[in-house]
Amino acid sequence: MKPSTFQGIKLVLRKELMTGLRFRAAWAAMLMFSFTSLVCISFALGGTSAEPKLFAALLWILLFFSSLAGSDRVFSDEEAEGTLMALRVYAPSQAVLFGKMLYEFFVLTVITVLLLPLFIVFLGVETKEILLLLCTVGAGLWGISAAGTLLSALIVGAGVRSGLFSVLMLPVILPVFLPAIRLTEAAFGGTVVSLSFFGGIVLYDMILSVAASILFDYLWYAE
Amino acid sequence: MKMIVFEEVDKSFGGRKVLRNLSAVCCGGQITSVVGPNGCGKSTFLKLAGHFMLPDSGRVTIKEEDMVLQGEELRMSLAYMSPELRFYPRLTALENLSFFLGLRGIALDGRQYEEVLERVGILPEAVKRTRVGEFSTGMRQRLLFCVMLASKADIWLLDEPGANLDDEGRAMVLREIKRGASEQKLILLATNDSRERGAADEAIDLSGN
Ligand SMILES: Nc1ncnc2c1ncn2[C@@H]1O[C@H](COP(=O)(O)OP(=O)(O)OP(=O)(O)O)[C@@H](O)[C@H]1O
Ligand SMILES: [Mg+2]
Repeated sequence: MKPSTFQGIKLVLRKELMTGLRFRAAWAAMLMFSFTSLVCISFALGGTSAEPKLFAALLWILLFFSSLAGSDRVFSDEEAEGTLMALRVYAPSQAVLFGKMLYEFFVLTVITVLLLPLFIVFLGVETKEILLLLCTVGAGLWGISAAGTLLSALIVGAGVRSGLFSVLMLPVILPVFLPAIRLTEAAFGGTVVSLSFFGGIVLYDMILSVAASILFDYLWYAE
Repeated sequence: MKMIVFEEVDKSFGGRKVLRNLSAVCCGGQITSVVGPNGCGKSTFLKLAGHFMLPDSGRVTIKEEDMVLQGEELRMSLAYMSPELRFYPRLTALENLSFFLGLRGIALDGRQYEEVLERVGILPEAVKRTRVGEFSTGMRQRLLFCVMLASKADIWLLDEPGANLDDEGRAMVLREIKRGASEQKLILLATNDSRERGAADEAIDLSGN
């Protein structure tokens, strides 16, 4: 009777894509935030050439806050619409968790793909190591989507207000954030860093995903 | 055959006891009604039965022969509907149907869809084009019922299944519930409707609590 986990994930991801594309408010919030902030930053810097370190930090602050503008809705929108209960009745836990996580990753990737070239052009950043930059961004977004999906579920499960989301998100994501800034700095031509920073991010991403997978079963089946 | 067993269950919300020291047994192949006035805990009883909520003390177990069902295995064998349950308003009825059934590993072909839609009284054309958000409340209720029937679940937790339905719809619910019981499904029916109460084999009365 039960579909394979892979099929379940595919179904949930497709459902998220369909509802997401038909409800553009979430997208608009994230895009508006990231572009407005980018324009502000580029005005503030006004063509002065800044350190790679500063650019790296700015990029991650932008990505982090853009994700905050959208990812606390992963479960709370369903809760508000009353569809969460239907999902709880019919869907296996892992399909929901990873389907939603992948969708979150997809949304963040789309925003980054739009934002990153503009960031580089507007601020006149010199990108020395494109591959390193892309890998770092990929690993960073994985961490943000894993942490965001899990926290969103925990917060809806505990029935608390979503203001808590941003408060909890930062400490959880810091182990991704700090090495990602160092690596991005290196990609922008700053001091060379050891690749073990990258290994560290990926390791933490994996720990987050596994922890989410285990915790989510308890949430979903309330046992 | 499946069984739901409540053993000395207590449940309170914000210090107010809703269920007190409740013991009950519900068996497959029977319609068990859960009755009592508004606010007496019928919906709470159903949520506890489906393990959507944990009791404060006591135990709720679902057994098949002597095996206790839990977690995913349990969830995949039950269906639940209540007036609070909604399908995705921005998806069409058909998209909702194939999504929720797909999650249970069920893929229906065109004929099978028509058959089950006819059983709950929804026109197949309406399902393809119309988003659930544009359905009337009665149509939505029928769609919930439709997914439950097609899901092949053998535990049905029905919280006011006749809500918002016209006479013909209520007759359909009664007919399908009886048919379900004859197929050995375990049916819990929380209701205030006298005809639905009359169809039950057993009753759990919560009004004394
Ligand atoms: N999640 C909740 N939080 C707080 N109180 C709750 C919650 N769920 C139910 N209650 C309370 O528990 C009591 C029983 O509620 P329940 O919904 O089970 O009643 P019911 O018998 O289904 O009523 P009705 O016939 O109106 O559907 C009510 O007083 C209600 O206020
Ligand atoms: Mg009720």
